[in-house]
Amino acid sequence: MKRSNHYTTLVYITSACFFLVALALLAAQPLYAAATVGAAAPDFTGLASSGQTIHLADYRGKYVVLEWHNNGCPFVRKQYNSGNMQKLQKEWTAKGVAWFTILSSAPGKQGFATAGEENDFMAKMQAAPTAALLDPTGTIGHLYDAKTSPHMFVINPQGVVIYNGAIDDKPTTDLADVPGATNYVSLALEESMSGKPVATPVTRPYGCSVKYSDVR
Amino acid sequence: MPSGFRNSTRFLLAQSRIKQEMLQPRTRSRFRFPLVLGVVLLLRAAIACATPTPITHGTLELVSDKQWIQSGHSFDLALRFELENGWHIYWVNPGDSGEPPRVEWQLPKGISAGAIEWPTPRRLGSESVVDYGYESSVLLIVPMHSETTLAAQPSTQLSAHVKLLVCSHEMCIPGKADLSIALPVKTAAAPEQDGMRQLFAAAHASLPRPAQEWKFTVVDAKDAFVIDATRVHQADHSDHANPRPGLTQKVTREATQANFFPLEELQIDNAAEQKLTLTGLGFRLAVQKSNQLQKPVDRLKGVLAIGDQGYLVDAPVRRSGEQKPGGTKTGAAVK
Repeated sequence: MKRSNHYTTLVYITSACFFLVALALLAAQPLYAAATVGAAAPDFTGLASSGQTIHLADYRGKYVVLEWHNNGCPFVRKQYNSGNMQKLQKEWTAKGVAWFTILSSAPGKQGFATAGEENDFMAKMQAAPTAALLDPTGTIGHLYDAKTSPHMFVINPQGVVIYNGAIDDKPTTDLADVPGATNYVSLALEESMSGKPVATPVTRPYGCSVKYSDVR
Repeated sequence: MPSGFRNSTRFLLAQSRIKQEMLQPRTRSRFRFPLVLGVVLLLRAAIACATPTPITHGTLELVSDKQWIQSGHSFDLALRFELENGWHIYWVNPGDSGEPPRVEWQLPKGISAGAIEWPTPRRLGSESVVDYGYESSVLLIVPMHSETTLAAQPSTQLSAHVKLLVCSHEMCIPGKADLSIALPVKTAAAPEQDGMRQLFAAAHASLPRPAQEWKFTVVDAKDAFVIDATRVHQADHSDHANPRPGLTQKVTREATQANFFPLEELQIDNAAEQKLTLTGLGFRLAVQKSNQLQKPVDRLKGVLAIGDQGYLVDAPVRRSGEQKPGGTKTGAAVK
């Protein structure tokens, strides 16, 4: 009996050790969880240029669009100078979608903006996202494995990623290409809202690389 | 194998939309302009031929490997990029960001352009965003063909409208360039263009080629594609008595740097490290799959760079645990 107790203790200690090692290994993994279509969208807390703190979890029950942004990138300029991005923001937020513009450029890199600079940009461009999130450490960017600006994600009311990729099917910097483009974000939202599966859930996000601090 | 590769390159890009248009003056002989126009065109051609066009952070020039076009024969034109330090352009699959240059040709009737022949690219970028492209000097060769019906003439103008994206690690700048080159058309065999021999030879050498000395097999190992590269033993007379140690050393030397570049987007995690292990007669490269991969990859296509040499890869992907394809073709191999 006593012997068996020892055995049990040993087993407990060993499994506890294994558990701790496994935990340590998991913790050692960088947070490059990425947002995989069909999987739960990684939760985050972000500071908006308005001063507000945004928790993604609070938006459960709504569709959420994430838009990676860098106002110096010509691919982003194409969307804003043509008015397309603002149009999409207005159209979808009017339909109850939460739209977050996310700035993951590190300080000193292209696209980095302070809260004031971002607010000025949004006012000048008449941009209308729910909020612009300042992510100079790239935490949210890495969490979603955002590669480019723009890189777009759509999350459904259940908190599942239903689209990850490009804004549209014209990977160019020409303003003239905007009108004829198929917008994947709108398609995903339209399809999902009418109960249909998203026909194109993954595309290659095109644009400039996100200017993380590790970008040399 | 190479033609398949090129075909898929064509499918992937369709970047060489060939416009076969006669270069005609827009207004019909209402003025005495044709002569003046001819002179202007010739002058422009001469200028275009002689000087590279400035682009953002570099220059771009259309060059020919031959002094003239021989009717009914093929020749090469090339986009010659000279980029400033720290600036790059992109491969046909640009990787995580960026876009490859795209060309629209304006060619006289009887001349047609093929697809760009892409040199073996390099990995560019950071820990989290990795692109595939070229820095400093690069020559993108475009094979051209002339019909036998192409009449001899003192000069014909070949023009290319190029859309390109030049990037540094800090920023990207889109650009456009209108290039042209004027070449005579003759029936005689065309000699090489002065000073272009070395340039084109180096460019041809930088193209990935079919692997004769290597055999590549690919296994789908859940989270990675595992590429096994085996050195195909070739009779080596100089070292016949003891070929293996020498070969192993050679393999080790070559294989310390190997990189796989997928032809198609979203197949691999571009930024992930490609883990290399030596296997005696070759090496094994574990290439992390993209977490955005939606369906199994039946054939893995791309370029495997071993040291400086790129090799074309077009191999069926065997599921781990699946029998090696023997005499009968597996479902995955038929496409």
